[in-house]
Amino acid sequence: MSEQIEILMPSMGEGINEATLVKWLKKKGDQIKKDEPLLEVSTDKVDTEIPSPAAGFLLELLATEGDTIPVNATIAWVGGDKNTVVSASAAKPAASSAGHAAKDKPAVATTTQVAQAGNKASPSEKTATQAQVQPRSTSVVNSGPIKSSPLVRKIAESNSVDLAYVSGTGIQGRITKPDIEAFLKQGVAPLSHFAQPAAFSGPAHLEHGRLETKKTDQLETLEGVPVRREKMSKMRSLIADHMIRSVRTSPHVTTIFEIDLHRVVQAREKHRAAFQEKEGFNLSFTPFFVWAAVQAIKDHPVVNVSVDGDDILWKDDINMGVAVALEKGLIVPVIKKAGELNFVGIARRMNDLVVRSRSKKLTPDDVQGGTFSITNPGMFGSIVSSPIINQPQVAIMSIGAIIKRPVVIDDMIAVRPLVQIGLTFDHRVVDGEGGARFLSTLKERLESFDEPTY
Amino acid sequence: MTKYDVIVIGSGPGGEVGAIRAAQLGLKTALIEKEPHLGGTCLNWGCIPTKALLESAKTWVKLQHANDLGFETGKVSFDWKRIMDRKQGIVDVQRKGLRFLMKKNKIDSFEGHGRIAGKNKITVTDKDGKVTTLDTKFVLLATGSRIRELPFAKSNGKAIINSDDILSLTTVPKSLCVVGGGVVGTEFASLYGRFGSEVTIVELAPQILPSEDADTVKDLVRYLKKQNITIETATKLTKVEDKGDHALVTTEGKEPRKFEKVLISVGRAPVTEDIGLSIVSIKTNPGGFIPVDEHYKTSTDWVYAIGDIIPTPMLAHTASAEAIHAVEIMAGHHAPVINYDNNPNAIYTYPEIASVGKTEDALKKAGIEYKVAQFPFAPMARSKIDDTTEGFVKIIYAPKYRELLGVHIVGAKATEMIAEFALGKVLETTIDEIAHTIHPHPTISETIMEAAHVAVGGAIHM
Repeated sequence: MSEQIEILMPSMGEGINEATLVKWLKKKGDQIKKDEPLLEVSTDKVDTEIPSPAAGFLLELLATEGDTIPVNATIAWVGGDKNTVVSASAAKPAASSAGHAAKDKPAVATTTQVAQAGNKASPSEKTATQAQVQPRSTSVVNSGPIKSSPLVRKIAESNSVDLAYVSGTGIQGRITKPDIEAFLKQGVAPLSHFAQPAAFSGPAHLEHGRLETKKTDQLETLEGVPVRREKMSKMRSLIADHMIRSVRTSPHVTTIFEIDLHRVVQAREKHRAAFQEKEGFNLSFTPFFVWAAVQAIKDHPVVNVSVDGDDILWKDDINMGVAVALEKGLIVPVIKKAGELNFVGIARRMNDLVVRSRSKKLTPDDVQGGTFSITNPGMFGSIVSSPIINQPQVAIMSIGAIIKRPVVIDDMIAVRPLVQIGLTFDHRVVDGEGGARFLSTLKERLESFDEPTY
Repeated sequence: MTKYDVIVIGSGPGGEVGAIRAAQLGLKTALIEKEPHLGGTCLNWGCIPTKALLESAKTWVKLQHANDLGFETGKVSFDWKRIMDRKQGIVDVQRKGLRFLMKKNKIDSFEGHGRIAGKNKITVTDKDGKVTTLDTKFVLLATGSRIRELPFAKSNGKAIINSDDILSLTTVPKSLCVVGGGVVGTEFASLYGRFGSEVTIVELAPQILPSEDADTVKDLVRYLKKQNITIETATKLTKVEDKGDHALVTTEGKEPRKFEKVLISVGRAPVTEDIGLSIVSIKTNPGGFIPVDEHYKTSTDWVYAIGDIIPTPMLAHTASAEAIHAVEIMAGHHAPVINYDNNPNAIYTYPEIASVGKTEDALKKAGIEYKVAQFPFAPMARSKIDDTTEGFVKIIYAPKYRELLGVHIVGAKATEMIAEFALGKVLETTIDEIAHTIHPHPTISETIMEAAHVAVGGAIHM
């Protein structure tokens, strides 16, 4: 059999159009089993090994390490016979459309040599089958508490492995060192769920500031203070990169409104029990803010754009990213097309995303495509905060703690639940007036909140 | 005829434990033992009687130092017969305990020689030659080991003795040559040396206890020398002659020397002959050991083997663990594969040596990167209180994740202390968790924490 199978750069999730080839794990001519790791790729969301979708011999590798390759481009050919010749038309370089053409490939010449070595089969007679490489399943293996060990946790942290994906063979299913070593070898690093939703092109390499420490045998000090060095987790590192890029990209300006939530509180109290019964989850304050923000964006779409050089990209959809704090770090799942949802729709989607965030069941798609973000440090007691914009968005809304305060209404002192809501925006496209107008609309919507729409 | 689920051949710490576990799992179980007593080498001629005697040696030394603790004892003396009787009493009670456990777990006991007689058939031949055939689904071979003899210096129970004979000596020999400085030889040297024998250990390898870490052995040797023990390593024995009331021992390049007794302790050999292996086409390796898979199954589906007859460490606790694993597999349970790197070693000399994991030498040879954190017992208050300041805890760990690679303890209670590290290794603990575990004060276990602190950033009490 001399069937040829074309190996394509797999899709790593919506919004990812290309990936960088970090390393070929096999050489040309090597035999490869189905599902055996073939190459390592890196995107801004996921670093992973890609397994071969088919068994056979590697007839051609069409990209060079370091190349950025578009999704669905041909990256290699696998065939059942070592001496199979890759047809000249098929052996075209993969990365041409991305402008990173594979440079080192005298592909045709090489195959010719192989042909001379004895295989007479005509390339044109061969059947070329396309096979889409799938990243290894990102479906969750473990749910509930994960049994592992201190050693495994250290290995996982330094290799950015989410232990939810590692199956344990130890006592009572405990994940052991051999398990995680096998996992690492097999090449799965699905930390994608933790990735930030920003869509940078190319790998996000940022030069973090380096510090000059002094090291003796056992002790490392910084300006005389003993320090313990710990490698950032992949998620931490990603967050760090994104934050630095954002601050460098956007001139941040924050404006804050104080909003009276007494109608929201009343509505929530009134419907809470019924809501719990009907929808099966607790009605939190967040959906109110998300809903109001969506309404305000509709009136002031300038906070829902992206800046591309001198151009402004206006967006049809309102995809609302809502930051969810995790044990270590955070994740920003996105309520897609929030502009088309009513209040209850938003509440349902919100609840679903929060539940899946905490149980690590988000898909890569859930964290992509946000057009505006909301963060709620008020949950932890913060009154006012100045968040960093989630690139390539241009605005992020921050919610403070809801606190009862005395306020003067019609020259009388009343006790009202107040919240400070801030909008941090990119002054390249949004001016102080635009930010204030957005918050003004938000305030009006919340203070006049009537009934949740079912 | 009853059909058994599992028949266990051999009632040592492997077979006995395997039989009980099998019964607990609901398997119809039988146990075959050719000796009149259950318990195998461990209970009858090994672990138990030797440790009983070593405890007497410890007490004897302590009594001699009772003055230091404020006691006026006058001249203390020992009665060797009573020491031997006490040892035998412990053995007898444990034997009875085993009988009881068999009965309690409804395990059928057969006395006689067990053999594989055909597919799923086991025969028991009793001492009168009567043969009983038993049907079984599985057999667990746990036939253990026998003393290895030196062809040119066979023990005869008189001046030349083996480790069985030495357990029934009626007096403490004035002089004792121990041929082979392995665990058995070194323990007996430490026993008889403390009771007053002039002991010489003759060992072919460059260190006694060759599988132990060089540092702990070196420290132990210092103390053995204070127990009337001379150690001759890298020394080749050429001749041993029984001269009636004494033996003459010749080592290479030296004149023959006189000893009252010569103990031949050059290891143990698996008992795999005459158990019917050929009937099911099981072939042993050149050392006589039975090859098995990770679940202790032999090349024949229904035959499992554990303990001293397979090529794993010849230790009682290892055999027990293997037996439990094997019968759990037979019962269809999931059992995690045994990691021998977590298997502890224990040597009951004074001070004791205990270890788990790799030695420094082995790591060096394998080219594995490591670091050492070590702490002595001497500065610890509890060690002074107990008057046991000998030795140290040595932890070898990998710099990258600070994983425990090997732990080697030499000290009065080393064999008890090693269990913490055996658990630590099983749980894949790193040295940080050991350092952050609060150890009770004042105990000698604090030394473990101190050794870990050395790695984490400096010991406290040094």
